[in-house]
Amino acid sequence: MTINYSRISAFVFLLIFLIYSYLAGEIKVFAFDENADFNARTFPKLISYLGIAVSFLTLVLSKNEEENLSQYEWISVLILFVLVFTYGLLIKSIGFFISTNLFLIISYLYLGVRSYKVIIFSSFPVVAGLQFMLHGLLDVYIRDPFLQLLGVIS
Amino acid sequence: MIEGILIGVNTAFSGYNILMVMMGCFAGTIIGMLPGLGPMSAIALMIPITYGFDPASAMILMAGVYYGAIFGGSTSSILINAPGVAGTVSSSFDGYPMAQKGQAGKALAIAAYASFSGGTIAALFLLVAAPQLAKVSLSFQSADYFALMCVGLLSIAAFASKGQFLKAMIMTSLGLALATVGQDSLSDITRFAFGNINLMDGISFVLLVMATFAMSEAFMIIFKKMDINFKSSDVSKSSLGSIKLSKSEVKEMVPTIGRSSVLGFLVGVLPGAGATIASFLAWGFERSVASAKEKIKFGKGSIKGLTAPETANNAACTGSFVPLLTLGIPGSGTTAVMLGALLSFGVQPGPRLYVEQPELFWAVIVSMYIGNVVLLVLNLPLIPYIARILAIPKNILVPLVLFFSVTGVYLISFNSFDIYFMAVVAILSLILRVLNYPMPPLILGFILGGMLEKNLRRAIIINDGSFSFMWERPISLALFIIMILIISLQVYQGFKKNNP
Repeated sequence: MTINYSRISAFVFLLIFLIYSYLAGEIKVFAFDENADFNARTFPKLISYLGIAVSFLTLVLSKNEEENLSQYEWISVLILFVLVFTYGLLIKSIGFFISTNLFLIISYLYLGVRSYKVIIFSSFPVVAGLQFMLHGLLDVYIRDPFLQLLGVIS
Repeated sequence: MIEGILIGVNTAFSGYNILMVMMGCFAGTIIGMLPGLGPMSAIALMIPITYGFDPASAMILMAGVYYGAIFGGSTSSILINAPGVAGTVSSSFDGYPMAQKGQAGKALAIAAYASFSGGTIAALFLLVAAPQLAKVSLSFQSADYFALMCVGLLSIAAFASKGQFLKAMIMTSLGLALATVGQDSLSDITRFAFGNINLMDGISFVLLVMATFAMSEAFMIIFKKMDINFKSSDVSKSSLGSIKLSKSEVKEMVPTIGRSSVLGFLVGVLPGAGATIASFLAWGFERSVASAKEKIKFGKGSIKGLTAPETANNAACTGSFVPLLTLGIPGSGTTAVMLGALLSFGVQPGPRLYVEQPELFWAVIVSMYIGNVVLLVLNLPLIPYIARILAIPKNILVPLVLFFSVTGVYLISFNSFDIYFMAVVAILSLILRVLNYPMPPLILGFILGGMLEKNLRRAIIINDGSFSFMWERPISLALFIIMILIISLQVYQGFKKNNP
């Protein structure tokens, strides 16, 4: 049996479903439900049996698939991931408008956009338009300290 | 029924809902045209916009997005041989060669007329089939629903997995497992939340869909260095050629449209099959029934070769609404997303929908006619302009998709945890997709998980803890036999593949 990415992923899934199975058995149910025909543990246990069975079969039956994972742009995706994460961190503290524009501008610059006209027209009007639609038309309130400070929203 | 149809017509023809169909078709066409972003991403991106809408309008908008995305996918297939949607891959077989011969306009017109005809004929079938199936399904009990959902899960894993049945089943199991996170619906016991207050209410459906489709598609564009080498000048009116069809060309299309509409609708009704399989089957079928002289033209710019998949994929889209609206079981990944959206509106699709909310049931069906007319009247003349969207560079597109995904999820809960969680899920699904794990079974498993547990619980309690309902009820027995057949077919195909 040769090791390939399919087998490794199947093994990881096998471990996940084994842990899931263990955790399913640990779900605390009410005393009167302990011996019931169907309680909060039953369905997760059935899923875990299915998951274990199919992961095991994949592990055993997987064929060699040529997949060169080094050819992909891992770094760029990870940087975008960090940007999304940071966006999530900032959205509450500095507000929707500034954090979103910052996210868009930094992402454009990182991905190689150099025209300031394009950067500005693809960020501020888009965010302002969406915020107007949500706040002004659909009555969806988004807390925004910056726009509150400017008196744009109450 | 007549009264229901009239209510539906009234709802669908309100100015507001006509605007929804037009917006949906337009937005769907644009998003579907972009290689990498399919109807599931398009609908996922629309969910946050529909928060303030009533369920009928939201559903009409999403249905418009669905067939708009399929139409948009055809445009990029024909113009640049880069299908935006899997269901339009077979359209490129004959559409792209036509475009290369300077007949892009004609190819787009054929695609538009074929889509319109396929969608309209299938909507007529839906009009007849849906109420009948809804009546039959009123006799379904929990055990039958459980069996039906199992068939749905199994068939989407079998047919939508491109030969990776076991991997698709892993994703189904994972989807079902994710659905158990949070409070158990009956006992209110919290499961798998690990003390995290953000998980006690379960995982948000919108979060999962956005992360696995919209956000991970955006990551994938960067990850695979996908480039859209297309200039807006490539779709100027002059380079498209004429969009007029001659009488003989129309005559050639008509029988193909008839055959492919029926085929597409029937395939669409089957759980798990959908537009991709329908379009390939229709192309293959037309080729097999064509004369020897016509057969040679297939793959080199045949009118029939383009008409067949275009008709079938739109008919299948309409067909996939049959199990969704009548049984509450989605027939495809895209309708699974729609089901999730409907559930979040508090609407439970199923046989009772037809009786209790006829305005929603019929309005969606009627809006399909309107959508097909919109696609033909509005989109066809605008194609040279709409197709310029293909010129959007990926470095502008990706941040915008990420922004819409994050905003969509943030607007539900106003909780930063959801954004972090979404980003992690998007990265994990990106890795899984690279390793050929299909995502639609995960979404279907997640959406059906709750209903599956509820129906299994009822069936077991009614049967005093026994699983005998599997063979005691004729409907359940028939459905379990279908499951066995699907599994046997997969085993046979796997065996045949390994021992050619």
